[in-house]
Amino acid sequence: MAVRPSGYHGCYLRIDVTTGSVERVPLDERVLRQFIGGIGLGAWLLLEESRSGPGATDPAAPIAFVFSPLVGSPLTTSAKFAVVSRSPLTDRLNDSLASSGFAIAGKRCGCDAIVIVGRAAALSTLVIDDGRVRLESADDLRGATCADTEAAVKARLGPGFEVASIGPAGERGVRYATISHDGRHAGRGGSGTVLGGKNIKAIAVRGTARCEWAQPRELVEYSKSLSQKSFGPATAKYRELGTASNLLTFNRLGVLPTRNFQSGTFEAAPGISAEELRKTHTRTRASCVACTIGCEHIYASNEKNGVRLEYETLFALGPLCGVGDADAVLRAAKLCDDTGIDTISAGGTIAFAMECVERGLLDEPWLTFGSGDALLRAIRLIASREGIGDLLAEGSRRAAQRIGHDSIAFAPQVKGMEIPGYEPRALQTMALGFAVGGRGADHNRSGAYEVDFSEKVDRKNVTIDAVRYAIETEDKAALMDSLVVCKFLRGVFQDFHAEAAGMLRMVTGWDVTADELRETARRIVATKRQFNLLAGWTREEDTLPARFLQKALDGDAAAVLSRERLDALVSEYHRQRGW
Amino acid sequence: MRVEFLGIPRERAGVAELELDVNTLGDLLVDLDRRFPAIGGLVEAGRMRRTFLASLNGDAFVSDLRTRLSARDCVLILSADAGG
Repeated sequence: MAVRPSGYHGCYLRIDVTTGSVERVPLDERVLRQFIGGIGLGAWLLLEESRSGPGATDPAAPIAFVFSPLVGSPLTTSAKFAVVSRSPLTDRLNDSLASSGFAIAGKRCGCDAIVIVGRAAALSTLVIDDGRVRLESADDLRGATCADTEAAVKARLGPGFEVASIGPAGERGVRYATISHDGRHAGRGGSGTVLGGKNIKAIAVRGTARCEWAQPRELVEYSKSLSQKSFGPATAKYRELGTASNLLTFNRLGVLPTRNFQSGTFEAAPGISAEELRKTHTRTRASCVACTIGCEHIYASNEKNGVRLEYETLFALGPLCGVGDADAVLRAAKLCDDTGIDTISAGGTIAFAMECVERGLLDEPWLTFGSGDALLRAIRLIASREGIGDLLAEGSRRAAQRIGHDSIAFAPQVKGMEIPGYEPRALQTMALGFAVGGRGADHNRSGAYEVDFSEKVDRKNVTIDAVRYAIETEDKAALMDSLVVCKFLRGVFQDFHAEAAGMLRMVTGWDVTADELRETARRIVATKRQFNLLAGWTREEDTLPARFLQKALDGDAAAVLSRERLDALVSEYHRQRGW
Repeated sequence: MRVEFLGIPRERAGVAELELDVNTLGDLLVDLDRRFPAIGGLVEAGRMRRTFLASLNGDAFVSDLRTRLSARDCVLILSADAGG
């Protein structure tokens, strides 16, 4: 039997919920070193398990919960897991990340990943108790919110279990349903839809297996030092105001997507800003398990338990829908969290529908920009797939295809994934990152906005030089998401690749170098592309909606991105990737 | 010339904007460090601290302390990390 490397169990659990069969599949050390964990190992597993054959919600399609060698270590922010599957929203590979105790408890089940295939006969909870697997009825949880499901399953099963769950949206096949754990979500691309398609309402994990570390004393010392640095100025923004502080900054720079990307500024931004919310609402801070940053800012509202608010949620449910009522935005965020819906896709799809109503393409006169009541009503309808919600539950691309009248030109999506809160015409390196993103428009797998917010490029008139920077940020994100460490640590590292190699050496004992990790990152990006090629990807997908390529951003004549320029950037990206 | 604070610099400075009469970015940042020590230091070891950014008139980002500023310029001071 092969010796497993430190930091790993050297196997994954393969669970067929149709038959109840469970297999412990060995993972070769060579594979682990080549793909590390998280999204990297997840991409490899998905390719191995499916070759992209089955459609996203086909019972045969796998969904993988993937841990990493750093999970369970004292390294700050390392309690993370990836969820990898084919996306019901984009039909391409989807990898989403979530944090906290589920990662640690899942790895203690004695595996590096949990792959689920099949479809349970009835709505069920999948229980993995120290490697022993069973299905329990979840019929009484049908329609329950994510948080209520998690609480009920934990109460039922007893101490030590960590639970990931879907809400009503995942049960009903909303294409951008999330998987929730501890109030956080593996949010983008419809992971919750895939789990719901398998009739799995929740997964509960508990275990006692532990991995050894190759250099424990050095690892503990380095972890202390990293934690200390994480209290410093590089993370002050996250601690003191949270990501929501982007709102006023982006508004001032004219890059805050507003009313379905019709403008880059929102006149009501100050009233819903983090700076204003902290004056008008009681706020508490929280952090994931094993995190020293504490980026989460939870605002009291009329809803129980308060509302966790991030920039992307704030932008999507606020300016993008023209809503300047802070309480309406907070309630909408809570409703998305409860029902298990990705806030970016919800906001993007609703904003698209609001513009369709404005143009006379949809006969839903109540659905207007600026109406908080309409926003809340639309989210409820989406979660229940009732009325217009059934169409909007499909996401903006499919909705546009059904509405017709060339509405696809202003559907705010790439490959079907709704665009995050960065205006592409005024952040053109990010525009490239969105266009070539393997899972669609994505600010987590491409950090190209960092380039636009620097002296490296003219953000409204980028040249071919921007391509290599975009690739660097994509590769760096792939590495961080495979180790896995939180991207909010980025500014803490003086030399990320060297420090990442050090972390991996201390945990695994491998003589890994910074250069090896750069190659690993490229391999991970290429593997995701390989899956997408098999799933039907074509070069034409790597673009942006016509809206962004036809005219300047309103109010900023300099923010112009021609189709020719974007095509040139994408072609150069492919050339530099060797594709 | 005008200075606008955004994000953490605004929170720590306690003001959103102010008018100053300086010739270069370096002069500006040193002046701001003197007026607003709570920001935590915009200049470190003779360079702009990497956790902050300066945007000239909302367009180009600048860090060269020798950058000339005119009376009509507006410099935005913001946190470097735009991640959301």
